[in-house]
Amino acid sequence: MNKKWRGIVEQFVLISAVFLAFLLAFEDQIIVPVWLQSFGRLHPLVLHFPIVLLVLLMAWEFFRFTREASPWIDTAEQWVSDAWISGAALTGLTTIFGLFLSKESGYSGDTLFWHKWAAVTLFIVFSGTYWLRNLSFYQKLNSRLLIGFMSILLISTGHFGSELTHGDGFVLEPFQQGKPIYLEDAIVFDHMVKPIFEKKCMSCHNPEKKKGDLDLSTKEGILKGGKSGKLFVTGKPEISLLLERIHLPLEDKKHMPLSGQPQLTDEEKMILALWIKGNATFTKKVLELPATDSLRIMGNTLFNSVQDEATNYDFSEASQETIDELTNEYRTIATVAKNSPALRVHIFNKSEFNSKKLEELVAIKKQIIFLSVAKMPVKDSDLLTIAQFENLERLELNFSNVTAKGLLALKTLTHLKSISLSGTQVNYQDLQMAMQGLKKLQAIYLWDTPLTAEDLKALSTKFKSIQIIGGFKDDGKSPIKLNPPELKNTSTIFDTKAPLTLFHTIKGVEIRYTMDGTPIDSSKSPIFNGNVTINSNTRIRARAFKAGWIGSDEAVFEYYKCAITPDSVTVVLPLNRVHKANGPKSFFDRNLGTFSANAPAWANFWTGVQNNDMELNLNFKTPKTISIVSLRIMEELTTGIFPPQAIEIWGKTNANGPFKRIHVLKVPVPKETRFHELYAIDVKFKPTLFSEMKIIAKPLEKIPQLNVAKDKARVRTRAFAKDKRALLLVDEIFLN
Amino acid sequence: MEKEILEHGLNFNRRRFLSTMSLGLGSVALGSLMIPGLLNGGDREESGFTPGIPHFAPKAKRVIYLFQNGAPSQLETFDYKPKLCEMYGMDLPPSVRGEQRLTGMTANQASFPLAASFANFKQYGKAGTWISDIMPYTSKIVDDICVVRSMYTEAINHDPALTFLQTGSQQGNRPSMGAWLSYGLGNENKNLPDFTVLLSRGIGNGQGVYSKLWSNGFLDSIHQGVQFSKGEDPVLYIKDPAGMARGERREMLDQLAQLNQMSYEEFGDPEITAKVKQYEMAYRMQTAVPEVMDLSKESDDIVKLYGPDCLVPGTFAANCLLARKLSENGVRFVQLYHQGWDQHGNLPFEIKSQAKDVDQASAALVTDLKQRGLLDETLVIWGGEFGRTSYSQGKLTPENYGRDHHPRCFSIWMAGGGIKPGMVYGETDELGYNIIKNPVHVHDFQATVLHTLGLNHEKLIFKHLGRRYRLTDISGKVVRDILS
Repeated sequence: MNKKWRGIVEQFVLISAVFLAFLLAFEDQIIVPVWLQSFGRLHPLVLHFPIVLLVLLMAWEFFRFTREASPWIDTAEQWVSDAWISGAALTGLTTIFGLFLSKESGYSGDTLFWHKWAAVTLFIVFSGTYWLRNLSFYQKLNSRLLIGFMSILLISTGHFGSELTHGDGFVLEPFQQGKPIYLEDAIVFDHMVKPIFEKKCMSCHNPEKKKGDLDLSTKEGILKGGKSGKLFVTGKPEISLLLERIHLPLEDKKHMPLSGQPQLTDEEKMILALWIKGNATFTKKVLELPATDSLRIMGNTLFNSVQDEATNYDFSEASQETIDELTNEYRTIATVAKNSPALRVHIFNKSEFNSKKLEELVAIKKQIIFLSVAKMPVKDSDLLTIAQFENLERLELNFSNVTAKGLLALKTLTHLKSISLSGTQVNYQDLQMAMQGLKKLQAIYLWDTPLTAEDLKALSTKFKSIQIIGGFKDDGKSPIKLNPPELKNTSTIFDTKAPLTLFHTIKGVEIRYTMDGTPIDSSKSPIFNGNVTINSNTRIRARAFKAGWIGSDEAVFEYYKCAITPDSVTVVLPLNRVHKANGPKSFFDRNLGTFSANAPAWANFWTGVQNNDMELNLNFKTPKTISIVSLRIMEELTTGIFPPQAIEIWGKTNANGPFKRIHVLKVPVPKETRFHELYAIDVKFKPTLFSEMKIIAKPLEKIPQLNVAKDKARVRTRAFAKDKRALLLVDEIFLN
Repeated sequence: MEKEILEHGLNFNRRRFLSTMSLGLGSVALGSLMIPGLLNGGDREESGFTPGIPHFAPKAKRVIYLFQNGAPSQLETFDYKPKLCEMYGMDLPPSVRGEQRLTGMTANQASFPLAASFANFKQYGKAGTWISDIMPYTSKIVDDICVVRSMYTEAINHDPALTFLQTGSQQGNRPSMGAWLSYGLGNENKNLPDFTVLLSRGIGNGQGVYSKLWSNGFLDSIHQGVQFSKGEDPVLYIKDPAGMARGERREMLDQLAQLNQMSYEEFGDPEITAKVKQYEMAYRMQTAVPEVMDLSKESDDIVKLYGPDCLVPGTFAANCLLARKLSENGVRFVQLYHQGWDQHGNLPFEIKSQAKDVDQASAALVTDLKQRGLLDETLVIWGGEFGRTSYSQGKLTPENYGRDHHPRCFSIWMAGGGIKPGMVYGETDELGYNIIKNPVHVHDFQATVLHTLGLNHEKLIFKHLGRRYRLTDISGKVVRDILS
């Protein structure tokens, strides 16, 4: 710079200093005219230039008095001096603009205070140094002290400045998680609404600044409102000033917050709207709101319930390698939750278990909080290994081989809250001693142990804070009814003979049965011993009995003999559309239909005809002598399922020649309602040789009016059309 | 000169270096434009979900779901409506019915006479829970369960309602709840499947259950539910053929794995590895399953607790006992279906029989888990797919009536892991038609179930064909009031 310019800049610095002093002295009384306000707003732009210059110059000055710098001093000093005064001038300008800016928009007191004075001091010192730096006393040490001081000022000015624009704690914010508020404790105003005010509004609307006469830091201030009126009308967000202002377009002058400041997010706007709608409560907790309240739903997403927070364990994580090494097919190690160091261990497969499997877990002994070795042959000696898992909270020892004495070893487990000992051989004496050592115990499970009801009661009295759970023990006072006996044979149709295979799933049951259709007598009827053979059509009735149980209901099993089976069956007249079952295969498939229409097999077993006769041709490759033909039918009179009115048997002795009518059986028509039944109708005739047989079964042509039987309570009634043809259902045919 | 010699030797100089580098960088940039996830470093943080670990500490570790298929009538079981007695035979007021669509079965009825329940209700337990007398055993465990009376759904017929409840959407082809849990949490016992299904049926009017209800949808097929049947072989085709030693089976599997590995290297189809995993699982199940399914060693006390039917394979009681055994052995999700609750007609007779099938065993299951110390970690759910109407379907007589499907309210109960015991949640109106307090949608229910297992229902997602799917589809919030 030539001397002229140098002079101008130096003068400018001095003038700025004076002007600045004037501004600072009369600060409170100054109003910045509109045309100067724009200059004020240039402050954030202009400040960058002096900062860069100051940093570079201070860096140079720091090394100015060193030996490495000495060859450069002459070249550098031509520039440094010019740059120094320019930097000072720019600093002055920036500070003046800053003062203009501070007059118009609201910035909170303290930060502004420090920013302002740090800046002013920096300006003075830096400018002063311009003249000082060529004096004799200004050597390495003094210069460095001064530079240190100026650096501090520069950093402070910058720091406070950034706080003004970005809010307090801006830099360190990522580190400050803060104590999270739990959903259970969250208060609507304090934790949802107030943070919004604090972050986005109170830089201007605070007790010191009170822009628009509005102070949002207290309840009274909020309710009082400001220059433009009350902030809101309770319950009516649509006409509330607060919401009007935050929803104005950004360009609008009245839009809040000011467009240079951080804006409200959509979520925050919604919270304010809902808060006003909900009568602007200052005291209600989030959970006091009804579950469908939108504000509460928002709160649900903002706050975690205290129960969601994983209990913070203070032990370190186990290494993933160790966990992977120890996990195998029969020993599962699982992390309790994401980011949690706690581990759960579950051991399976009795045959693979040995004590070593537990000892290997010592590698993660600090992290195990849950261990299940239920049904494993764990002995008392293994409990010594388990006692090393210092953070264990729950231990499952159901059906293991531990005894109460071994439990004494667990007294080192100071965190053990719950222990299951169902199915173990613990005794009262030792158990209550062991329990004394488990200070943190909250629950103990003792089902199926030698402990009696009195023992359990005594434990409850002794350990009032522990839940003693004994489970179900049958006291014999309310016996239950046994289920009926079952049959092992899948089919009760046989050729010549069949064993009777009654059995019962419950051990120790005696099965009494009759083969002659008489009812069971619980003391007189024969007991089934497994050596019974059946040679003819027999109806077996059986019941199960056991001491301490009510005798079962009766089970009925029909055994049918079918000595001869045809080689093929043809259905001559069509079967009813709905009752086709398996067609011709149904008649000799050895599957008996049941009564329950809801059983899936129902449709597959019952063939039926209604509007035409049932006519079947049975073919025998080698002619057979037959004297009985039986049809098993269903009878449910109330729904129109009747026995046939007649069954005709026709036969051929050889393949050529016509059918000869062998026999006709007229079946008596029922006159009275009776309970539904499944039974076989036998057509008997003198033994005849058949190479082909035709069976014609005629459904009842007209359903008669039935007299209602005396015990009509047993009959399910359902209306059906009279005078209709009855339905004939057949599931199996037997030839003997 | 050295520099020139070096560059000549390498056939590479600065100019070439810079141009090649820019080509390289450019192609990476092009790649990231064309393949969106190329530079993402894995999607792990995007979903915030690592399969196999709960999102936060769970209360329940396993689920047993006692599904009452056909829709049990809430008015005969858990929802006491004396007003129906007062208004017996009167028509359902249109103001109550509103716009509710009816099924084709009753839409053409001339009238909708309100049917009072034949069952008597009494209050039980600390919360004074109303339970009908057709479920006496459940009334005894009322202090361990939480009855939710305000469940509701949109589906009005069985298939969509079942699918909705199991998969979160009325349209099918999605993974069921058990498959999601298997995906999200894995299994504790590697020798048993994560997800098993047991079926039984009563004599009441039944509806079918379909294997799509336990399908894995678009998840890996290892998450599919395994149906255990009642016959000699609980899981079909697991047993080795007669004469084959287990060692031979092992060798065969090893060879097979090698072949499959070759195939995988060629085609890269993930289903191949899933198949290998399933073979290995089947091998381990060969030893584990018979041991679990063996009911012959159960003590007399257990038989008395569940009722004698529990030893008869194929009954609901036997399935409950098996469910306890499977769950005890680490199976993550055991689902029971009991069919026959669809009482469109003949309700008093059929529902008594249905209730008798399930009542004692369901209560026994809760007690049995409790006495072993397992109830705190097992979530037990009992319920159907929707409720039944307050008006009678078909002719209304004092002894007999039927009820049609009703999606607007139904009752379920839950017990165990994470659920507050001894409480009633939700309320329906006097006629048992609409919900007046605390409605719980199917998605809310699913969100709550996932929550007790430590999973955030909005974070348990799977990306399929460009969309992120989750069990609760697009809605659902956790019902915190019933959580302990």
